[in-house]
Order: sequence, then C-alpha cells, then structure tokens
Amino acid sequence: MSLWRHLNKLRWVSLTIVFAMLVALPFLHLYQTYVAAHAYDLLAPDEKRLYDMMETLTSPFVSDPAEDLDNIKGNTWSGTFWGLQLSDPLAVLGQIAAGLKLYWPFFLTAIIPIILTMIFGRFFCGWICPATLLYELNSNFAAWIRWAGFKVGNRRFDPRLKYLVLAIGLVFSAITGSVLVASIYPPAIVGREIYYLIALGGFGAGAVFFAGTLLFDLLVARRGFCRYLCPGGALYSLLGHYRLVRIRRIVETCNDCAKCNVVCEFGLDPLRDNFGQECNNCTACISVCPTDAMTFILSPRDYPKQGPGHLGKKYLRGAQTGDQHDAQTMADVE
Amino acid sequence: MAGIGASMGTRAAEAPFRYLRPPGARVEDEFLTHCINCGQCGEVCPNRCIKFFGRENGASSMDTPYIIPREKGCVLCMKCGEVCPTDAINPVPRELGAILAGVKMGHAVVDERLCLSFQGKTCGVCYRACPLQDVAITAGRLEQPHVTDKCVGCGLCERSCIQLPQAIRIIPDYEKYDKKSA
Repeated sequence: MSLWRHLNKLRWVSLTIVFAMLVALPFLHLYQTYVAAHAYDLLAPDEKRLYDMMETLTSPFVSDPAEDLDNIKGNTWSGTFWGLQLSDPLAVLGQIAAGLKLYWPFFLTAIIPIILTMIFGRFFCGWICPATLLYELNSNFAAWIRWAGFKVGNRRFDPRLKYLVLAIGLVFSAITGSVLVASIYPPAIVGREIYYLIALGGFGAGAVFFAGTLLFDLLVARRGFCRYLCPGGALYSLLGHYRLVRIRRIVETCNDCAKCNVVCEFGLDPLRDNFGQECNNCTACISVCPTDAMTFILSPRDYPKQGPGHLGKKYLRGAQTGDQHDAQTMADVE
Repeated sequence: MAGIGASMGTRAAEAPFRYLRPPGARVEDEFLTHCINCGQCGEVCPNRCIKFFGRENGASSMDTPYIIPREKGCVLCMKCGEVCPTDAINPVPRELGAILAGVKMGHAVVDERLCLSFQGKTCGVCYRACPLQDVAITAGRLEQPHVTDKCVGCGLCERSCIQLPQAIRIIPDYEKYDKKSA
C-alpha cells in the first residue's frame, strides 16, 4: 500500500484548518476590540460569552491579547504571520495592472507563494483555497442530489476560457485604476465575506457573486468556476506550467478502471496520462485508485503517454487478438 | 485612461457622502491603485472604526476601507498602516511629529451657528476629545474651539460633539485627493 493515498485526507485537513482560521480570526478581532475597550461589564451577554471563550482559548498563548493577537491577521488573499507578509500572486498582478507599475515591497510578499507554485503547481487551488472547501462540498452535494434523481450540470467548456477571464480582469483593473480582480476571485471573496459576516454583521456584495458561482457549479458545470473561469487558477496554471512535482500513472499496475477520471475535480484525464498545467496535485486520483497505480514524479514535464493499463481488459485483449495499436503498446513496454 | 476610470467609479470629490480614508492613506487615486481589498486594516483596528464599501461609492471603491467620523472616529493607533501589505496606507509611527507629518485625513471645521460655546453655553467637549489637544485644537473664551492647520482629521471631535446636527465636522481633504487629476 502506498502512503501517498492518504494525502487526500491530509488535504481535507489542510482545507479545513485554513477555513477554520478564517472563521476564528474575526472572532479574535472582536475579542481584541473588547479587550481594548476595557469595559467587560458593559458588554452584552453574547459578547461576554465570546470574550470568556476567546480568553480561555488564547490565554495559554498570549499575555497581552490586544497586541499579541495582531501577529496573525488577514486571509489567503493577503495575510500577516509574525511580521511575515504573504500575498496571493494574483493580488500582486492585479495591483501592477491597477497602477501600471510594479511596487517592489508588495511584490516581495508574493515571492514565497510564487516559488511554491513553480514547484507544486496549482497546489493552492487544491490544498489551501478556502473557496475550494465549499466548492468540493458543493460537488459532493451535487452527487447526492443526482443520486436522489435531480439533474445536475455536467457541461464542459474550454479550460482556456479562464486565461481570457484573467486578461479581461487585468484590463478592467487598469481602466478603473483599482484592483477589480479581487471582486471576481473566490478565495479573496470568501476570506473577506466571512470577516464581514462575523465582525461587521452582514455579508457584502461579494457573497451574491460567490453564491452565483456555487449555483453555476451545481447547475451548469461541475467545479465549473475553478475549471473554466477562475482568474487566480489561470495565473497558478501558468506559473505551474513547469512544476517539478507531478502525478504519474504506473502503467504496469493500472487496470483502466477510470476511477481517477471520474474523481478528478478539474476534469483531467489521468487515465491517458493527460495532466498538464491544470493539475493541482490534489491527490484525489491517488487515493481512489484500487491498484495503487498513481504516484509522484519529480520532473518539469508530464510522463509520456503510456497506452492502456497492463491489468486492463483492453491491454489483455490486444495481446490475444494481436490488435495493432495495443500490440504496439506492448512492444513499447518490452 | 484615468478619465474612463473616473466615469466608472465615483471620485472622492463627487462622493455621495462624506467619508475618510484610514490614517496615512495615500491620495485617493493612488490609494485605489494600491489597495487590494484584503481587509487587514479593519481586522487590526482596535476601535472598529474602519468599515468597507459595498457598491455605494462606485465599482472601484468596492471593499476598500473608510471611516465615518460621526459614527466612530479614528484613535490614531496607527496599526492599519503597519499591517497594510501594499502601503496603500503608509506606515506612520505613533509619535506626534510623525503623525502631524504623515496623516492628513481631513480637517475639522466648526459651524459657529451650531456650536454651543459660540452661543454662550460653555461646552468644550470637542477640545477634550481631541487626541492632539492644544496642537490641533485650542480652546478660547467659554471653551470656544479653534482648529489649527495641524488638525489631521481623525474625527474624534465630530464623534463627541453633543449637538445634532454636529457643530464640528471633518471635511475630507478633497484638495489633496484631486491634486493628481487637476
């Protein structure tokens, strides 16, 4: 048994932790404001409950909540961890487009994400993005209601559409002189709207847009926004074109069951060794493979096409009947 | 290009209502090109005075931070500039000289017809609320407030004014905002 197949569970843990942080930070912010106000007695009962809960949770770690809790702020769009500022590469690109010039101090905050993306590809989309958690739950929900007999969308579009969305978003950012891509990028919206909901008492306009993308995924195309429209996904795909860590199929143990193709959220074709720059290394195909025929390679290019799996019917039939294509594949293997 | 942008998003000078940007913010046009709408300034604000625009101030202002001084003034803690990743809000140290040099949110204007002290009833609330007392605002006879040109426009005086409508208001520094486009 390969240990890699447990990575998908780890990925769900990672997504959940990021999302939980986004929910916890606004509460911590509220707690800090209560502390700063020095008026515990004047708090409403609900506020007192929040104060007590946050005090219990944080007191082992911080001595001065009003100052020390400032060490973790922000969201996946841009955040601060003990003085280290990290930003989404799309935020940097959007800001360059809005001002039509590069602002170096901000560009440097995206260096670590850019380097990680060049190594791991679109890993942000699969492992960190707070919208991904909701989109994947939405996908599971779609599977349920399809099982219950409702029709869900399963259209396919050209995945290159998202590069157009990225280009249009940047052009509009330049025209308006403001970072408009932030308004159409789900992880930025989710991080912001959670804060608005908890700390400012209500969703903003972005929540409507995000609900629209959930409906689009449900009724038109599975994971449609991420696959075909997300500007950030487009940027990550481009940055991860020559990524080093890739998934490959082991043709000797593959039985052509095609479960990998079914489970792939991004509509890729692992069964025929088609990963390309879209793959986000989410490892769902590794975890679902019944014969452990999926593994990682370190290479700037995808593994070459290998033909049908050696445990599959097509391969075995090809060997018996002398089918030209499959016989050729056999020859390659030998 | 800026002209098209101006037609798509409302300019500060034509804003439908009076708002301030957080302390240390760049001039309005530059602020909008720098702000990436991450919301961290709001998350560190201990006074919760920083709020975020919906669509009410034009598309280019969406999700950018603002302050309505009558609802909640800025306490000049200067944490927002420290956390801002793009320096849309410049970091300003929390010292008198640095704040006077680096913060210009607007300036307070007293309406003498409304101000109690100018109507013969000693008040002085705005003078006492000012964090830069005797520098930005001085009290005259009957605690009559006199705003100096050193006022940075934090809005605590407007917040504290007991008159309704308020007798002292922060006028956002539109002259500063429009310098670039003029």
